[in-house]
Amino acid sequence: MIGRTGFLLGIALRHLSRRQRQTIVAVSGVAVGVGFFLAVSALMVGSQNDFIRQLIDAAPHVIISDELRSPSPQPGQREFGDGAVELHGYKVRTEVRGIKDWQAIMTAANEMPGAIASPSLTGGVTLRLGGHEEPLAIVGVEPEIEAKISTIDEKLRAGHLRDLETVQGGIIIGEELAQRLSVNMGDIVAATSSTAGTRSMRIVGLAKRGQAQISSSSGYVLLREAQSMLGRPFIINRIGIRLDDPYAAEEVAARLEKRFGYKAESWQERSAEFLSLLVTRNVIMYSVVSAILLVASFGIYTVVSNSVADKRRDIAILRSIGFSEGDLQFIFVMEGIILALIGVLFGWMLGYGLMEILGSLDFSIGGETEHIPLDRTPRQYAIAAVASLIAGSIAAWLPARKASRVDPVDILRGAI
Amino acid sequence: MSSLLEARSLRRQLPGDPPIQLVRDINLTIERGSFTTIVGPSGCGKSSLLYLLSLLDRPTSGELLFEGREVSNLSGDERAQLRLARFGFVFQFHFLLPEFSALENVMLPMRRLARLNYDASRERAMHLLATMGLAGKENKTPDRLSGGERQRVAIARALANDPVLILGDEPTGNLDSHNSANVVETLRALAHEENRAVACVTHDLEIAELSDVRIEMLDGRVERIVDQRKKSKA
Ligand SMILES: Nc1ncnc2c1ncn2[C@@H]1O[C@H](COP(=O)(O)OP(=O)(O)O)[C@@H](O)[C@H]1O
Ligand SMILES: [Mg+2]
Repeated sequence: MIGRTGFLLGIALRHLSRRQRQTIVAVSGVAVGVGFFLAVSALMVGSQNDFIRQLIDAAPHVIISDELRSPSPQPGQREFGDGAVELHGYKVRTEVRGIKDWQAIMTAANEMPGAIASPSLTGGVTLRLGGHEEPLAIVGVEPEIEAKISTIDEKLRAGHLRDLETVQGGIIIGEELAQRLSVNMGDIVAATSSTAGTRSMRIVGLAKRGQAQISSSSGYVLLREAQSMLGRPFIINRIGIRLDDPYAAEEVAARLEKRFGYKAESWQERSAEFLSLLVTRNVIMYSVVSAILLVASFGIYTVVSNSVADKRRDIAILRSIGFSEGDLQFIFVMEGIILALIGVLFGWMLGYGLMEILGSLDFSIGGETEHIPLDRTPRQYAIAAVASLIAGSIAAWLPARKASRVDPVDILRGAI
Repeated sequence: MSSLLEARSLRRQLPGDPPIQLVRDINLTIERGSFTTIVGPSGCGKSSLLYLLSLLDRPTSGELLFEGREVSNLSGDERAQLRLARFGFVFQFHFLLPEFSALENVMLPMRRLARLNYDASRERAMHLLATMGLAGKENKTPDRLSGGERQRVAIARALANDPVLILGDEPTGNLDSHNSANVVETLRALAHEENRAVACVTHDLEIAELSDVRIEMLDGRVERIVDQRKKSKA
């Protein structure tokens, strides 16, 4: 069986070797298609992975906040449900903001494998320097834990998150805000809150521009500091959770939300709109790629189709010798597959070269030198090969079917 | 003598209005060990008959028995397998594959049948070509062989799988008299010495005289079947 396949393959190769120019054109078509597919998909997938990594890193993978998806029922409603009752002197109960029994949630989260939870309290203050006032959302954290769940340290131009522990009244703010207030590392600013008056803060860290984590109007302080500044001792209103496997976030969030009732938001939920945008992008990319491969397979179709037309006499000879219809179809389909295979090999080389060029380019974004994110995994090479081979086989199969249906007697009658 | 191939009321027409009658009422037997010729004026249906006998074409009606088995209703693949293993066919014009050398052309049927391995196929092909007087020309492609040489390559190829029935459509039609005599002698020897059968369409009355059985055709029918062995004995 293998011997026969190889033998028929040999006939296909022999046919192709006699039509070199067409073969070169068809192979180039496939090679260019594959090469550009690799370059484009490396760019698209690379930038997509980069986006997603940034999305994942931008904030903890799961954030539990002190909100409820649906407000808990008022006591009156809990007591009487839908019944028609008349109550006098009924007071609507105001829930105290903040996560109750947050220690229990922390314990539950930390018990999950690969998960680290970090508590924080967020609230609003006003920063003042001279006559200048800036509203600021402060985030109180435990630096030691927070450093484990976020990438803040990497985003700091100066200072470290841990410096909050060592400097009394330390605060980390964004570069832009510092510029607006004309302050620098080590300078003192006044922070005022509605509940605890004014206190002096010393700048111990500056975050780089354009970071999602520390915007131009937020700042990091110690959790204790935030609690006293906002007049909410022992209260937290946010738990951030980092997971070893970011893709488990949805499940972890759902479990915690079900158990504790507080809104637990995964990074996927947070960026659902953006992720759906990526789907659209992928659909567009793969349509373009399919179109390229379709065009490439036209070349294969042309070669095999011409080959069949030229070889009608040979087909009749082979059929009269005793080759079956299947043999003939196989020979001509193999011609297409051989063209596709050679095209794929050259396409891989071309794609590799294009990626090398793209990868060596430097870009300057916001003062940072960056390389274009590229996905150079073997997966793209495999996709390109499989798609080309399928397209090539179909393109060859159409004329090959015609070859197998040639009636040798018609040819012989015409020839003799 | 046992019958190798037998046609009973064989008819072949092409669709049309009215249908074109290629051959009809064909009743004949090709016996093992015999050299049969089919003669008749141009256009009388000799080639059409040969395509039916070689299982290349299907009859419109009638029966065709090969070694006693009805073969006109076999599937395309079964007929291809029979042609490959049991039949050899020589056309009027050398029908060689242009991309393949003489040797490779002769090896084609053997490689497809795969009864012999590559080396054995090659050896047998060399031997067949030598028998046809083509020793030393094995690696030439058809375009570098003369008409007579090509025809002999085609005959060697027809013999590749050691067929029991060899059919020729004017196999000597474009050979000079010397080559023609050679080919006829080879075919006659094959028919007699190896207990198979050879049937050829021919224009050449000398060849027809040399054959054991002469089938005369006219207007799509068999006019007369002459067994020349009885005549020569008498
Ligand atoms: N495809 C066809 N269409 C119409 N007529 C045909 C066709 N093929 C053969 N014929 C006719 O059938 C007859 C028999 O042809 P053929 O078997 O080739 O005769 P021979 O080999 O004896 O010269 C001829 O008259 C020929 O013109
Ligand atoms: Mg004829």
